Amino acid sequence: MFSPLDRFFSTIAGWIDQTVLLPILYHFGWMQWEELSFDWMLVCVYGFFAVIITYAICWPLEALFPIEKWPSQKAVVTDVMYTLVSRVGVLPIFSFLVFYQIQVTVNGFVVDHGYIPPMLETVIPSLLGHPILTFILYALILDCAEYWRHRLSHTFRGWYALHALHHAQRQMSFWSDDRNHMLDDLISGVWFAVIGLAIGIPPLQFPLLVMFMRIVESLSHANARISFGWLGDRLLISPRFHRIHHGLHAAGRVSCNYGAVFPFWDMIFRTADFSDHFPATGDRNAPEAMATGGYVAQQVSGLLYFGQMMKKGRASKARAKAKIKAGVS
Amino acid sequence: MTPNPLSECATHRMTRMTPDLSLPAPSLHAAPTPASRRGFMGLALAGATAPLWPDLAQADAMNPLAIIMNSGEASVSVIDMTTRKVVRTVPTLREPSHWALSPDRSKLYIADASGNALFVMDPVTGTGLGHMVMADPYQIGYTPDKRYFVVNALRLDFVDVYDGATLKLVKRFKVGGMPSHLDFSPDSRWSFNSMQEPGTLVSLDLTTMTVRWKSHVGSTPAGVMWYKDHVYCCVMGENYVAEVDPVSGKVLRKIPTGGIGPHNIFLTPDRQTIYVSNRVGGSLTALDPATMAIRRVYPFHAAGPDDIAVDPQGKLWVALRFHEKVAVLEPVSGDYETIDVGRSPHGIFLNTMMSRPGIVTAEKL
Repeated sequence: MFSPLDRFFSTIAGWIDQTVLLPILYHFGWMQWEELSFDWMLVCVYGFFAVIITYAICWPLEALFPIEKWPSQKAVVTDVMYTLVSRVGVLPIFSFLVFYQIQVTVNGFVVDHGYIPPMLETVIPSLLGHPILTFILYALILDCAEYWRHRLSHTFRGWYALHALHHAQRQMSFWSDDRNHMLDDLISGVWFAVIGLAIGIPPLQFPLLVMFMRIVESLSHANARISFGWLGDRLLISPRFHRIHHGLHAAGRVSCNYGAVFPFWDMIFRTADFSDHFPATGDRNAPEAMATGGYVAQQVSGLLYFGQMMKKGRASKARAKAKIKAGVS
Repeated sequence: MTPNPLSECATHRMTRMTPDLSLPAPSLHAAPTPASRRGFMGLALAGATAPLWPDLAQADAMNPLAIIMNSGEASVSVIDMTTRKVVRTVPTLREPSHWALSPDRSKLYIADASGNALFVMDPVTGTGLGHMVMADPYQIGYTPDKRYFVVNALRLDFVDVYDGATLKLVKRFKVGGMPSHLDFSPDSRWSFNSMQEPGTLVSLDLTTMTVRWKSHVGSTPAGVMWYKDHVYCCVMGENYVAEVDPVSGKVLRKIPTGGIGPHNIFLTPDRQTIYVSNRVGGSLTALDPATMAIRRVYPFHAAGPDDIAVDPQGKLWVALRFHEKVAVLEPVSGDYETIDVGRSPHGIFLNTMMSRPGIVTAEKL
């Protein structure tokens, strides 16, 4: 069904690779990256079309069923930039350059010591020949990993200070999905690199399905009064379900609805809230620059907030220790 | 050195050859497979009763199949060469790239690089037989005497030498970054491995398991071919093929290909033409083997030509990495048709190459 679409995207990526990227790599003597350059292009092309499809789906929904109407959309413009950087441009290539190299180094080390990392298909050989089933399993594992990464990012004071950038947005829209601090993205990259090493994630085997998952994630941030109904909300994360996570009361170190694509993990680990309301979003404790500043201001502010929170954490620990000591004596 | 026609077919080669009389005469059937040689997914590494190669009658009767390794989507496309239709797509683990036939020709080993596995197929029927764990096999090849199975692990920077019979690791070399392609001397003593990152061609002595020399051939070397007492190495970051003295490692001359980014090099079965695929230029160059002069350049616009195989009619099957297609080129007219396959088609195996042992062969036969 999707094969012609897949072929269309791949052909565009191949054309750009051959006519633009390869000549550049050749010119600068970087041809050792030529095998990967096609993958970079695939990620960028799929990312680009994901943005267009997301826009085509979400913009009418936000226009027809808005939860909030804003006099100025300046804060949303910054989120658009996050999305473009994250999905089409710099970040995919940066991830390839850095994480590919790290993964290769770690892989080489363990293989050289006699351990060849397993993959789902080698652990469960019957999966071979069932690519969609294999993908669903990988998707479930990765989504579960994302649930725990997200939940932990709310648990630790310093980590939440970085993640607060994502929550600070008071004008949450479908563009807000990629609004993250660089360090938070870096932690996320390491997290998934480790999981990739453990289960052997297929990098670009199912780009259309990955694209679908990213669209669901964007949609879940939409400023649209939409739920998927009693059953639908329990199968796929809806804008209503995720908005509760972004609600003012849920910002901080105790929250709910951490899931990204599937709500199962929130249901299993008892953090799901299926309430029928669409709260105001934002984080009252986060610095104002994280909410309304430009890209650089948000990043700098996030870093400063991280420093403050770490300091606060150390002070709090010292106080607790002193209290215990006083109690003992 | 005395040229041995047999082993000129070692890597990426399609050459007419005569049987090597120094090899033991093949028996009709391979020995039963001991349990210890079974792969982790229950695959017998050597078929219990598989004939050493299909007899000629069977070979003539068999369906001519082209097996295309789709590196970008973890699959192998099996094409009926008569109808030019994909008859099935067989899933692999991650990244099928190049191939080698087992010494008894009963199995087609497909290197599944980031899958850390050899994917095994029946070369006659084009059906999957299973996987064997192996560290990052990218380019693979048996030495002409079949004693060793050499693996270039491009991602992990290893050149691994396995025992040809048991496929147990004998020696791991770390001789440079991104080991790419390989070939052997006809007497099986030496291997020649291109290293993309330092831009070197490295020669290993497989009798002593030592490094003989490392020679800087140019930026990002790839395809390697032994031909008439010389080693030829495509230099992808440049626009030439380096002719290298296999004894000293000295670059004797730089042969222009008329295309940018030469990636891989092949000799036709009739030994009349050498073809070079130009990755950046998106073209195929025909060279005169006697003089290495350019005869013709075939354009494949924006398609990323890679591996080549020659069918019994003399047509070239060319993997077009960036078009998800295989081109079937008629070299006289230059016309070609294309067949849709999976993403990033890479290695090509035509089972017609193995149908008449001793007459027509291909890479690593």
